[in-house]
Amino acid sequence: MTRHTNSKYYLKALKNILKKSHGSEQVITSIAVKLRLKFAVMGFDDTLLLGSPSDSFQSFPLILDEITYGTLLASGEDGNLLANMIMVFVEKEIEKKKIGNEVLGLYREINMIYDFSERISEKIDAKSIAEMALGEASQIINSTHGLFLIYEPEKNKVVELASFGQNPDREENIDKLNFLLKELISRGTSAIVPYDKIENNPALNHLRTIMYSPLKVKHRTLGMVILGHSEQKEFTAAELKLLTTISLQSAGALETAYLYQKGLQEAKEREEAIRSIHEVSQKFVPHEFIKFLGKDKLTEVSLGDLVEKEVTVLFADIRDFTTISEFLTPEDNFLFINSFNKRMGPIVRENGGFIMQYLGDGFMALFPDGSQTALRASVEMQASLRLYNEERITKNGFTVKLGIGMQNGNLIMGITGDIERLDAAIISDTVNTASRIEGLAKHYGSSILLTDNCKNNLTNPEEFDFRYLGPVQVKGKQKPIDVYECINGDNAELLKHKLQTLSTFEEGMNLYFTREFAMAAVTFQQIVKKEKTDNAAKLFLNRSAHMITQEIDDDWRGIASISTK
Amino acid sequence: MGQKLLIVDDEAHIRMLIEQTLEDLEDEGVELLFAENGEEALNLIQQEEPNLVFLDVMMPKMNGMEVCHKVKKELKLSQVYIILLTAKGQEVDRQKGLDMGADRYMTKPFDPDEMLSIAEEILKM
Repeated sequence: MTRHTNSKYYLKALKNILKKSHGSEQVITSIAVKLRLKFAVMGFDDTLLLGSPSDSFQSFPLILDEITYGTLLASGEDGNLLANMIMVFVEKEIEKKKIGNEVLGLYREINMIYDFSERISEKIDAKSIAEMALGEASQIINSTHGLFLIYEPEKNKVVELASFGQNPDREENIDKLNFLLKELISRGTSAIVPYDKIENNPALNHLRTIMYSPLKVKHRTLGMVILGHSEQKEFTAAELKLLTTISLQSAGALETAYLYQKGLQEAKEREEAIRSIHEVSQKFVPHEFIKFLGKDKLTEVSLGDLVEKEVTVLFADIRDFTTISEFLTPEDNFLFINSFNKRMGPIVRENGGFIMQYLGDGFMALFPDGSQTALRASVEMQASLRLYNEERITKNGFTVKLGIGMQNGNLIMGITGDIERLDAAIISDTVNTASRIEGLAKHYGSSILLTDNCKNNLTNPEEFDFRYLGPVQVKGKQKPIDVYECINGDNAELLKHKLQTLSTFEEGMNLYFTREFAMAAVTFQQIVKKEKTDNAAKLFLNRSAHMITQEIDDDWRGIASISTK
Repeated sequence: MGQKLLIVDDEAHIRMLIEQTLEDLEDEGVELLFAENGEEALNLIQQEEPNLVFLDVMMPKMNGMEVCHKVKKELKLSQVYIILLTAKGQEVDRQKGLDMGADRYMTKPFDPDEMLSIAEEILKM
């Protein structure tokens, strides 16, 4: 500060103490009264600050550090006491100001660090932390070069995360001095490097001053921050203190970032594990089933959850598989069933259905969209199986037949069991009936058999061709059920035959139900003659022939009572 | 008439800091006034009608919010510009302070340069 600014500065302190709010003015005035003095206080620039001056007053200079900043004018010798008192007050005020200035300086620093730590704690990747730390350091510490280094334990190497300042050899130097840097990092101390060490080191002698500070978290050191200046003198202790503070904040942020990344990775792995469990569990309990319960995930369902819905229940069964399987090893058995299911599963799903349960040599599937989709799937499954059989024949394998039966109705789907073991269950008479119809398909030798319920549910029945097979008394059911054979699942030859004889068959059935058994038998005979594998025709031929010799009750309505399955 | 600026904070070092920060304003003829609590602040505001008040929120006796409410809503001294000061992390008070009629809001630790320039802007210097 120049002399002039100093005197202004002191004058300001004088003005301050003479303010009413300061309290000094009252003390000065009351003492002047005691001393019977009249007085006035003037600034060095002759401004009147207090009292009223008079030409008769004596003058007492107000001085600090040999600088006169004002004058006390008083009516007597004792004015010097008053002047001394004022000078003490001013000196104290100046001291207060100095402390205030220092505190403000510290406060600025705190504010800067606070702000920095707040900003850096938002960073979650190491590189941007390094960049921000160097950016901050270069702003508050006059420096031309900076380096943010990190020790990577996996590589046992010190590497650069960020830097500033021109040095074409930087990378090479980090490599060359890696051992030394590692050593410095493991020591975990901060220092200003003495000039002779810089001067004699070719990697450093583009700089005139260097200081470094560790990136310390608790007892571990993650790396270090180095600052340098290519022209200027030595760094000061205060600058090292600032660098240390920045390093500490950065190390904390780095640690948090590492933990965050680790946490993120772990969360990802957990999520992946949950997802795969979810995926696997979905294969055991169909997702559609859970969806029906109004839930999204298997983990959300609980005991007692249930929903009622109208669906088509389909049973599919590999015919005579128990006989076939006797000739197979358990492993071959399993392999065959799997390759069979692998073909059928997708067809069910593609038609909007899902497999509710695998039953060893068959399965139960549900079709929420109704029998049109279920029947379409059945026809496709039969076609797919024919291809599979052809494939197997070329490999000298055995072939199989598939029987399908279906029924439509309300179904209660829910979660049953106890708290330890839960299972997806469906409770419905519809399931029992569907299973019986599948059994009946075997009896009639049909590839696809459905109830009238199911047929009535079709949205586009013209897509398929049917033969009416009459009413059947199903075990466990009070009323007989009308059943139909869908012939579109049969092989091309059989389908052609059945289509050609469709009206003949219908005629035969009419004759049968009107008790014209002899005529019926002749009609069915015509059909069977054309195709020996037409099982239903064969069956009704036998039934008609049998009935010819029977006594018929008046209430006979041709209801077949089948006890199989 | 010279302008008046009131600094209200129960912590002596904060008052000192703000005084130090705004010291240059005195050269422009602005009178700096101080109060240690809400009651004292309210009295000074009524007496002196300062142009600008830096008002700490957390204070014994009457807190900054109450002072602000009394000045703006009861005494209707709308010409007294009030800047509420609160600790960082208590920004939830922000809306409450503005609802109480505060003109502006600053968090502590404050940036001294920012505080000075805001004061200069409000006092139109």
